[in-house]
Amino acid sequence: MRRIVASLAVVGALACAPPAGAQDLVVGVSALMTGPSAGTYAPVVEAMRLYFDNVNKAGGINGKQVKLLISDNQADASKAAADAKKFLLQDNALLLLNISLSSTYAPMVAEAKRAETPLLFAGSVCPREVYPKADAFLYCTTAFAAQYDSRFALDFIRKTAKEPVKLGLAAMAIPISRAEIDFAEQQLPSLGFTAAGKEVIPPPTANYTPHATKLKEADANWVYSWAPWGMQVKTLEALRTLGWQGSYIAYAHLNAEDELVRLKDDKLFVFGTNAFFQDDLPIHQAIKARATGASYPVTQLGEGWVAAMALEAILKQAGANPTRASVSKAMNALKVDMQGLRGAPIAWTDDNHFRTSVAYRVYRWDSAQGKVIRVTDWTTFDVK
Amino acid sequence: MARASGYYKTGYAQQIALLETRTQKAWLATLALLLVLLPLVAGGFVIDLANQVFLAVIGSVALMLLTGVAGQVSLGHAGLLAAGALTVGVLTRETGAPFWITLPASAIMGAALGIVFGLPSLRLKGLYLGISTLALHFVVTFLGHEYESRRGFSSGVTIDPPRVFGIEIYRPGTWYAVLLAAAVLVVIFALNLLRTRTGRAWRAIHDRDVVAEALGVPVYRAKLSAFVVSSTLTAFAGGLFAYYRGFVATEAFSMFLTIQYVAMVIIGGLGSILGAILGAVFVTLLPYAIEAVVRLVGLEGALSGYVFAINYACFGIAMIFFLAVEPEGLAGIWRRVRDYFLLWPFRATPLARGR
Amino acid sequence: MQLIANIVTLAALYALIASGYVVVYRVSRVLNLAHGEIMMIGAYLLLTTGTIAGGPPALALPLALAASVLTGVAVYVVLMRRMSGEAVFAAVLMTIALGILLRGLATLLWTGQLHHPAQFVGWKNAPVHLPGGAAVSSAAAFTVVATVVVYAALFAALRYTRWGQRLRAVGENPRLAAQRGVAPASAHVIAWALAAFTGGLAGMLLSLDQGLDASVAIVGLKTFPVVLVGGLDSLLGALAGALIVAAAEALAIHYIDPLVSEVAPFLVLIAMLMVRPWGLFGAREEIDRV
Repeated sequence: MRRIVASLAVVGALACAPPAGAQDLVVGVSALMTGPSAGTYAPVVEAMRLYFDNVNKAGGINGKQVKLLISDNQADASKAAADAKKFLLQDNALLLLNISLSSTYAPMVAEAKRAETPLLFAGSVCPREVYPKADAFLYCTTAFAAQYDSRFALDFIRKTAKEPVKLGLAAMAIPISRAEIDFAEQQLPSLGFTAAGKEVIPPPTANYTPHATKLKEADANWVYSWAPWGMQVKTLEALRTLGWQGSYIAYAHLNAEDELVRLKDDKLFVFGTNAFFQDDLPIHQAIKARATGASYPVTQLGEGWVAAMALEAILKQAGANPTRASVSKAMNALKVDMQGLRGAPIAWTDDNHFRTSVAYRVYRWDSAQGKVIRVTDWTTFDVK
Repeated sequence: MARASGYYKTGYAQQIALLETRTQKAWLATLALLLVLLPLVAGGFVIDLANQVFLAVIGSVALMLLTGVAGQVSLGHAGLLAAGALTVGVLTRETGAPFWITLPASAIMGAALGIVFGLPSLRLKGLYLGISTLALHFVVTFLGHEYESRRGFSSGVTIDPPRVFGIEIYRPGTWYAVLLAAAVLVVIFALNLLRTRTGRAWRAIHDRDVVAEALGVPVYRAKLSAFVVSSTLTAFAGGLFAYYRGFVATEAFSMFLTIQYVAMVIIGGLGSILGAILGAVFVTLLPYAIEAVVRLVGLEGALSGYVFAINYACFGIAMIFFLAVEPEGLAGIWRRVRDYFLLWPFRATPLARGR
Repeated sequence: MQLIANIVTLAALYALIASGYVVVYRVSRVLNLAHGEIMMIGAYLLLTTGTIAGGPPALALPLALAASVLTGVAVYVVLMRRMSGEAVFAAVLMTIALGILLRGLATLLWTGQLHHPAQFVGWKNAPVHLPGGAAVSSAAAFTVVATVVVYAALFAALRYTRWGQRLRAVGENPRLAAQRGVAPASAHVIAWALAAFTGGLAGMLLSLDQGLDASVAIVGLKTFPVVLVGGLDSLLGALAGALIVAAAEALAIHYIDPLVSEVAPFLVLIAMLMVRPWGLFGAREEIDRV
C-alpha cells in the first residue's frame, strides 16, 4: 500500500514537471507516428517540426516561441482522448491538431468542443463537419477531402477516357475509404459509366491478387481507388501482374511523386491538390534548404509545410496575447497564399472551415519523356 | 506474512479476516485518507491518471480471478471489454437508454459471453484454451467492426456523459469519485469471493483439477463460474470505459490491450488481488513515467517521434524482466520487502523456489 | 485457373511462415507468438543489406538470411534460454513481450514508412505467365518454389539426418534425450535458427512482392490459425492447414465477400478447436481432456 501511494506521488511529481513557459505559444499535436499507415502522417509532423524550429530560431511569432507538443496516438481513440485532455488541462494549449486516422476524431472533437478550443485537422482527412455549414472549432487544411476528390476524379475519367468507361472501384475496409467509394459508386449512372466491380479490401492482406482477379474478371478498363497509398499501389501492382492493361487513377498521397518514378507505369494517374517538387518553385527550394536532417524524403514534406504555413498565419493573426477565443477568431477569417504548393489558397470563413476553393492537378509517368509529367493543370472548384 | 510470535488465531472469523493487526488497519486508513484527499490537491492531469488506474484495476482484478486464481488462460480480454463497451454504445445509440440500464446490460452481455468463452475450457487447457479465447476475441471485434460499418458509425459511437441525480459526470474530479467507488467495490467483492467456497474451488482447479474432482469440487461448474464472473466484471469495466471516454470504437480494443492486461496480471504477480492492483498501477503509469523521464532529460523534441516506439520497447522489456527474473511479480517484491522490515533484525531465509 | 494460382501462392506463403511455428513448437513446445515480428525483422534486414550492398538479389538475400538466422540465435540465447524449465505459458508470454519489443525496435530503426526493398535489391517483380491464362508475380512464384524446397529439406533432414533425429528426440522427451547425450539447448538453438530462417525468408519474399511496413508482422499473426488447424507439431499439418485456410480465404473473397476473408481463418480455427483441438495431424498428448 505504501508503494502504491509512493509511486503515485513520484509519478505525479514527475508528471507535473516543467510546463510551457508563459511566453510560449503552446500547440497540442496528436498524431499517428508509428504503426501501419504512419507513412502518410508522420512526415507531416516532421515538416511542421522543421518549420517551427526555423521560426523559433528567427525569433518566434510576436516575440514568443512556438511550442509544438507532439504525442503519438498510434491511431488509438483512447490515446487521442488522453492526449487531448492532457493538452487542454495540463498544457493549456491554444489549439489542437489532429494528424491521424479518422478513428481518433470523435474523442478529440468532443474534448475540443467542451473546452471551446479550435481543433485543426492537418494531414488527416477532412471530416464533413468542416464543409459549409461548418461546426465551430473544427478546421481542416488537409489536401484530400471526401466527395470533392471523387467528383474531380470521376470527371477527369469522363474527360480523358477514349472509349465507354467500365469503372472498377477499390477501397480499403476502413470506414472513410468505404464511404467515399460508395459515394463514387452512386455517381456512376449519372456519368454514363458501367460499374465493373467494387472491391473492399481488409487492411492486413497477404496477397492482393485475389482481389485484383475479381476486378480483372469484371472487365474494368478504368479503376478508381481512394485509400491509403499502400493499398492503392498494391492493388495496381497485383492488377498489372495479372496482365491487366487498363488505366488506374488514385489519390496522390505524400509519397506519390517518388512512387511514380519507381513504378514507371504510363497508365497510373494520380490526382491531388499539392504541387510536385519537380516544379522546383521557390517554395520548394526553401523547403529543401530547411529540410536538412529530416528522417523522411523531402518530397513528402509538402503537406506538412502547408499546414505549418497556415498555423503560423493563425498564430500571427491571433494577436500579441493570444487566447483560445482570439485564435478561433483568427481562424474564421484566415487567408493564406500557398506560394504554389497548392493551386488555391487556404481561405476560411465563419461558415467554411475547409477552403473556399479547391484545385486539383493530375500527374502521371511518361516513358517517352522518361519523367513524371503533369496531365492537367489546376482545375478549381468552388466550395459552397 | 512474516510475523513475530504471539499472533494466534482462535476462531474462524479471525482466520478469514482481511485485516489482522492494528498496524494494518492504520495503514489502510491512511491510504483511504490519501485517496480521498488526492483530488483536492492534485491537478486535472493527475486525477485523470488516477481515473485510468482505477479503470485498469477493475479489468485487472477480473483477469486475475480468471487466470491467476482459477488458472484458466484467457487471451480474449480485449474482446470482452469491447463487448461491454459496444453494448453500452449500441443501447445508447439505438434506444437512448440511460446508464442504469446500459451498465447492467453490458454486465449481462459479459456473463453470456463468459459462458461462450468458457465452454472451450471444459475440453481444453493451457495454451489451447488461450488460443480458443483469442479466436473468440477476433470474432467479437469483427462483429463490432461490421456493426459500425453497416450502421454508419464509421469512426465510432459517441456517448453523452451520464447524469446521476442531475449531476453530470464529466469532470475528472467527479469521475474520480465514481471510479474510486467502483474499484473499491470490485476489489472488496473479489477479496470476499476468494474467501468463500467459490474462491477455494478455483484455487483447487488451478493446482490440479483431477485431484479437485476427486475431492468433490464440481470442476465444470467452477471453471464456468470463473469465466462468467470474470467476464461480467470485464464487460462492466468496458461499459464504464465507454462512458469515461465518451466514445466507443472497436479499433481501441486490440490484441495489444489484451496483452497489457495479461502483463498487469503477470507483473503484479499471479494469484493475489494485491498483485492485480500493483500490476494495473505499473502498466498504466509506465508510458507516462517514460514520457516524464524523457522530458526531464530534455530530449522531448528530438525523441517525440519515437516515444511510442520507446514505450513499446520498454513495455516488452518490463514484461520480459518480470517473467525471467521475478516470476512472483510486484506482489512478490512487496512481500519480500515487507517481511524484511517486519522481521528485522532477524532474517527469513527463503525456501528454494521450486516449480 | 487464376483462382487456383491465387490459392497456391497464398498457401505457399502461409506454409512457409507456418513451418517456423511448427519447428519451434515441435522442439521446445513453445508457441512462438513473435514469429510475425521475426518475419518483419528479416524483411527489414533485407532492406538494410539492399541499401548497403545493393547489387543482385543473389548477394543481398543470402546476407539478409544470414543476419536473420543470427537474430534467431540471439533471441534464443539472450531470452528464451532463461525460460527453459519454466511453465510453457510463461515462455509464450515471453515471446509476446519479445514481439512487442521487436516492433518498437523496428520503428525506432527504420521508421514507419512504406519501404520497397525490391528497388534496392534490384528485383524486378515481373509477372510469370502460367498455362490457362493465369499470371502470378515472380516473387509469388519464387515463394512457391522456396516453400517446396524448404519443406522437402525439412522433411528429409528431420527423418534421415542425425541432427534431425536429435531435434525430434528433444521434442518428444527432452530429459531422455539429455540422458542419451543430446543437449537440449543445442537442439533449441537450431530450431530457433531454422524458424528465423524460414520466417525471415517469408518476410523478405512478401516485402519484395508488396512492400514493407509494419503490416508484415500482422500477416504472421494471421498465419496462426493455419498452424493450429494443421496441428502445432506437424509439418505435414502445416501444409494441409495452409491449403485449407488459403482456399477458405480466396474462395471467400471470390464468391462471398472480401471482408469475410478477414475472419475466415479464425472461423476455421474455432471449428477445428471444437471438433479436433489438436489439429488435423497433430499429436494428441498435449491436450488434457477434462
